[in-house]
Order: sequence, then C-alpha cells, then structure tokens
Amino acid sequence: MNARHRFAIAVTVEGRKLRAARVPVVTALLFVAGVTAICMSVTIAVTNGSAELVTKLGPLVAEGGWAGYLSSATQVVGAGGFIACGVVLSWSFGREFAEGTITGLFALPVGRAMIAAAKLVVFFAWAIAVSALSTAAIILGGLAAGLGSPGAESFASLGRVFVLIVLTALMAVPAAWVATLSRGLLGGIAATIALVASAQVLVISGAGAWYPPAAPALWAMDPASVDGAALALSSFFPLLFAVLTLLAWRHLQLDRA
Amino acid sequence: MSDGMVLDRVSRSYRGGAGVREASLVVRPGEIHALVGLNGAGKSTLMKLLLGMLRPDSGAALIGGVDVRRADSRTWSRLGQLVETPLAYGELTVRANLSVAAQLRGVPSAERSMVIDKAVEAFRLTEYVNRRTRSLSLGNRQRLGIAAALQHEPDFVVLDEPTNALDPAGTILLREAVARLAGQGAAVLISSHHLDEVARIADTITVMNAGRLIGHLDPQDDDLERAFFQSVLRDDESRSEDGEQSA
Repeated sequence: MNARHRFAIAVTVEGRKLRAARVPVVTALLFVAGVTAICMSVTIAVTNGSAELVTKLGPLVAEGGWAGYLSSATQVVGAGGFIACGVVLSWSFGREFAEGTITGLFALPVGRAMIAAAKLVVFFAWAIAVSALSTAAIILGGLAAGLGSPGAESFASLGRVFVLIVLTALMAVPAAWVATLSRGLLGGIAATIALVASAQVLVISGAGAWYPPAAPALWAMDPASVDGAALALSSFFPLLFAVLTLLAWRHLQLDRA
Repeated sequence: MSDGMVLDRVSRSYRGGAGVREASLVVRPGEIHALVGLNGAGKSTLMKLLLGMLRPDSGAALIGGVDVRRADSRTWSRLGQLVETPLAYGELTVRANLSVAAQLRGVPSAERSMVIDKAVEAFRLTEYVNRRTRSLSLGNRQRLGIAAALQHEPDFVVLDEPTNALDPAGTILLREAVARLAGQGAAVLISSHHLDEVARIADTITVMNAGRLIGHLDPQDDDLERAFFQSVLRDDESRSEDGEQSA
C-alpha cells in the first residue's frame, strides 16, 4: 500500500463520515437558507424604505436592485461563512477527541497526518459545494424578490460571493488546529468566533486588508481595496495553519485525561 | 511469524507523578498475555506506550521487532487494537464502521466484503448490521469495536479492558476470537482490572500495581483472585515500608 493509496483511503473514509453525519448537512442547510432569507429580508426592507437598516448596511445596499442585494449577501456571507466553516472544521477534528475515537486512529497503516490532511480536503470539498449551493440560492432569492435578470456586473459580484465562501473556508483552518490542541470542539468554535470578531475590529480600524481573515470579504465587497501583496499574505495564512494542524496530528500524544 | 511485542524498560510519567516505571514485558507469538491491575495501576498507559499513543521518557516499545517510533504501514497493518473507546462512528451503520476499519487497516477492496461478513457472523452482529451505531447498546457497540479491531486477523493484538460493557455472550465471543487468533500465531496482550473470563484463558498473567509490573500469577491457580489481591497488597505494604524508611 503506497502513500497515494493510503491517502485515497483516508479521503474516502473522511468523505463517508462527513456525508453520513448531521453536523455538516445541517450547517450547510442553515447557512444556505439563512443567507438567502437574510438577503431577501434586507432587500424587502430597503424597498419599503427602512432608513435605519440602510444606514447600518451602507450606501450600496441603499441602491437596492441586484447591487444592493448582492452587497448585503457579501456582508452576510463573510461573517456567516466563517462561523459555518469553523463549526464544521471544529466538529471534524474535535469530535475524534470528544467521542474518544482518536485512540482508534493510532497504530494504523494510514498515518494521522494523512488523516488530518484528508479531513482538510473533504472539508474544502464541502465548502465548495456549500458555496455553489449558496450562490445558486442567492440567485433564486434575487429572482423571487422581483429583482429581474442579473446583469453582467451582478454576475461578477455573484462570482465574488462564490469565491468569498471558498476563501473564507481557507481562512477558517485555524479552527482545526485549535480543536486539535484543545482536544475538542469548543476550542475550535471559540477560535472561529475570535477570528470573526478580530476581523470586524480590524476592518473598522482600516487595517483589514492586511489581516487574512478579513481580506476575502473586503476583496469581495471591493476588489480594489485589497492589493496583491495583501492577497499574497492571505494565501500563507491557511497554509501555515494547515501545516501546524498536520504537525499537531503527526506528533499527537494521548497524554491528557 | 516474526517477534512478538516487547516493552523494554519503558518509563513514562505524567505531571503529578503517576505513570509507568521501568516496565519490561514480552508477548510472544501465539501467546495470550493478560495484564491485570486495579484501576489506575497504569495498564492503559502501558498499552498506549506500546501503540505509540504516548512516547516513553526512556526505554523502547517494539512490535514485530520494529521500534514503534519508526513502525511503517506494513507493521501497523498487522496489528489490531482497542484502547478505551471503540472505533465506531455513531452516524455510520455497523457494516459501514467495519468497512471503514478494514480500509484503514489496509484490507484490499476485493477481500473487504468477505472479511466484514465473517466479522459480523463471528460477533453475532447480523441483526444490527444496517443499523446506525448510535442506536446500539453500549455492549453491542463494544462488540462492534472488538470486531473492527480483529476482523483483519492481525498478528499483534492489544485490547484494553475489552470485556467492559460486554454481556456474558459477548465475553464468550471475545474469548473465542482471541483464542483462535493466538492459535494462528498472534501475540495477544489483553488488560483487565479484574480476573475476568478472558484473563483466565491467558498463558501468562502479569500483575501491575502503581505503575510497575510486580510479578506473575499462575493461570492454573485455583484461587486466582486471592493470589492477585495478595500480590497487590504485598506490593502496597512493601512500598509503604520503603516510604517510611526513606522518610
């Protein structure tokens, strides 16, 4: 059994677990339905002239139409996507400790670092599927809200929403590392909340483009606001935490009660 | 069959002082070796050291002549283990869990179905085979965990208190499976905090107390229980006297 075969086994096993479990499915459904419902509500509220909401969400939302609708979608997806991805990553890694199945993942021909890598691959595939579903649901929501056919610019915004969810999934990888270090789900979820909160603070302070967890949402809102160097920095962030997670699994010891 | 399983003067201490001290143990091919000790004696720690779940502060653990720190996939594919919690995911059916365990142990896909069918039959899991594991009783979940650990007919077997939660029928199935594997040449290490039915079929019984291996019991002894408690009591008294003398 070569390394490629062992990795294929790990991906198959993790994929089977993710497909059969409730947490990833429920999280995906809540996210897709939640994002669509919130965006439609905002659009309807703006159409009805809710000045307070317009002030909070910014001038772009106030424009109404597809531009306003997709602006609110981007804001909701940025924060909501982080939470959804953090929950699924924390579950995937933390459950092995919480449920005690981690002991069964030792002394196997398929190494633990390989299992951790497979978990990340399967999670990323889940995120791409959720992103595709969300984008489709947002389009349907816009049509249902009576916005008419989206124009070329709206399609570009929809493309950025799709990419935003995928990039957000990458930025949530620290949740896997913290869930591993804390030997459970709650640590990963706490790390996710900390990342979302810190991203909000840094966006308000104006330094968000240089903070990887905030950069994808800023880019999706306004591609010109994040320059190439900041995007390059962002690409190292998930890579760093993926490597840290794999190392933590490789060197794992069951030395805590 | 190559060498069995060896712990060579292995020590590992936890913060607070508990752990395993200078433990040496050999489990030969074809031997059922029972490790008995009271709760907290260090049995699980010893097994974790043997399986690479813990790294020793000193000494070495070997499986089939290979140091577990450098064991490759071929070595691990010949081992079956259950420590503390069965490898059984609640969302998967019994059959899917056995399939996952077989895959992770490297059972070729052409043989997998046959291996699973045999395990289902051997551990009397037929009526639960398509049920999600979360709906099983604790005893049947343990039965599934043991089946998952043994279905690939490993040459090395490590089972930590496997009779926990098992009913008498499950205990008999476990005893038969372990005896059959040992008969085929497997080295079997099995722990228990009491002298249960499985410990009683062992070829060798080693007693552990306060992190140390303190001696052996004769499996043919008519009153194993008494011999076990006397052995532990003697060790406790001797350590307490040593403590008083050094104080």
